[in-house]
Amino acid sequence: MSEAPNTWADSWATSQQALMQAMFPVQPSGVASATGTPGALQEQFAELRGTWQESIEKWTELVKQGPKAAPLTPEALRELFAPDRWSGTGPGAFDAGLRQVLEGPKYAMLFDLDRKLLALRQLASQRDKDVAAFHAILLKAWNAALERFSSSVASTKVHAPPTWRDMADRWLAVVNDTLIEAQRSEAFVEAQRKMLRSASDHRLQERKIAEAWCDAFHVPTRTEMDEMQRTVAELRRQLRALERAGGPRPAASHPTASRPRKRVAAKKSPASVRS
Amino acid sequence: MPTAKKTAAAQALAEFSDFNLKMARGQQMLQRLKDEDVQIATADKEVVFRQDKVTLYRYAATAKRSLKVPVLVAYGQIGRYTMTDLQEDRSMLRNLLALGVDVYAVDWGNPTRSDRWLAFEDYVHGYLNECVEFICRQHPLSAINLLGICEGGVFSLCYAALYPDRVKNLILTITPVDFHQDQAEGRANHGLLNLWTRGLGADDIDRLIEANGNLPGELMSYVFAQMTPGATLSKYNVGLLDTFDDEKKLLNFLRMEKWIADRPHHPGEAARQLLVNLYKNNELIRGEFQLAGRTVNLADIKVPVLNVFAKDDHIIPPKTTQALRAAVGTQDYTEIGLDGGHVGVFVSGKSQGILGKGIHDWLRKRD
Repeated sequence: MSEAPNTWADSWATSQQALMQAMFPVQPSGVASATGTPGALQEQFAELRGTWQESIEKWTELVKQGPKAAPLTPEALRELFAPDRWSGTGPGAFDAGLRQVLEGPKYAMLFDLDRKLLALRQLASQRDKDVAAFHAILLKAWNAALERFSSSVASTKVHAPPTWRDMADRWLAVVNDTLIEAQRSEAFVEAQRKMLRSASDHRLQERKIAEAWCDAFHVPTRTEMDEMQRTVAELRRQLRALERAGGPRPAASHPTASRPRKRVAAKKSPASVRS
Repeated sequence: MPTAKKTAAAQALAEFSDFNLKMARGQQMLQRLKDEDVQIATADKEVVFRQDKVTLYRYAATAKRSLKVPVLVAYGQIGRYTMTDLQEDRSMLRNLLALGVDVYAVDWGNPTRSDRWLAFEDYVHGYLNECVEFICRQHPLSAINLLGICEGGVFSLCYAALYPDRVKNLILTITPVDFHQDQAEGRANHGLLNLWTRGLGADDIDRLIEANGNLPGELMSYVFAQMTPGATLSKYNVGLLDTFDDEKKLLNFLRMEKWIADRPHHPGEAARQLLVNLYKNNELIRGEFQLAGRTVNLADIKVPVLNVFAKDDHIIPPKTTQALRAAVGTQDYTEIGLDGGHVGVFVSGKSQGILGKGIHDWLRKRD
């Protein structure tokens, strides 16, 4: 058995030579093969072999020129796994996280404010567009109401309202019917939906920005408060369920039932009207 | 000189003069009125129970008791219970008291962002149940009469279905049951809220609640105003002007305005259930509505039911509430249809003699 190679480069070169031997076993030149292959074919094989060998030699040379890995001696292993190499102040795996904990977030991480504000601006713009679309539908309805009212007043079939008040009542009736008609339309329902949605989206983006500041300055965020309140609500439910499972309580044991009663004085309004 | 005999110019002058006179009279009245003149919900009452933001009131008797079993009034979250006692001569609560009914009313308080996660189950299994339990312990009784209004009617329906032993008689007023029957009568001004809510996606509603925490009272005020454009547009001009003839009318107008302006936010999770599970998915009438893992089956309501509705209710169109007849599991089902609109059931002059007496007479037969 040959001596085991010390480096990866030696190992690679040896394995390549072995592969070469296997692929192109040495044959006397000018001898035809058992199958009667002509000499021209042998020459082609020889050329291929030569080219391949050259290539392998070049690669072997290149590999040998690379950094020579030291053999895995006990010293090398000790150095490799030395604690200071793993946990030191260099670019260790945990250093970035530890640094953030100790020093707080970096500005680059904290203040992507420009991007957040840009998103907010875009959402505000979307909201304004949706509000405008909503108003456009209502405006169209108002115009239709005015047209209907004008036709009604101009019509000879319908008596003109005798007083300003009658006129106002007729106008209001026309507006009422026309607006309700518009408000039942698919276009209105969809425009209203979009308006509410984009207003919600905008508000939530505002919250994101506010929460970034809260995070930086040790202030609990809305999201955290919501989570806490949710926990409280769930705990209360569990408590109630446990109380119910314990059966009905006597009146005196109830925390609020035993409190003195508070009378809410009747307030007589001087100008109020008695029936 | 009679108006008909006047020339057009003289008639216009007379109108102008009347208008100015009315304005001046109105200005005088408004200057005279003070905040205390427009107080609402002033019937004598005491706080008997309180939990979180919820308060249970018991009203002072004004007549000899005529019913053995008290009535608990539960309003919804869109608006406040104070509408049931708007003023002395327009008050369902005072009318019931005058007829000898022992009246309790629950006030859900003013929910804030911290109430975002309160759900229907908290109101039904929690607060409403606590109020009923309290009254039962106080009297002592095993069951009481429950009177639900609007969304409070939905709470009451759920409660009666899930706690049948605790309800002796169930009274509902202007209560939605089948949320998809809004156009059953084909009236264009009816059920706009149903139509608009169905137009929203569930994710739109989620985002709305997420962004605001609750369903903002201001949004609901806007929605209600938009549903009656003519009335909204005329309210502060010709509507207000009409009240300048009569101080009673002006006071009534101002008290209504006070009630309308006092619109609480609707707790977010409960609002999501109301809009998605009920308005969009119509789960109540389908028998699919779930509270804390229990399905609300309206057929489980076997106690007598009185259902009061308004014939011209544009918010809860009659057919949306009349669907209850076929859904409940009792044969003792009665309806009272009152003229007028949603809130008119409680505050119109005409309904004052009908609503309280109708409820009292119905209860007396089942006391």
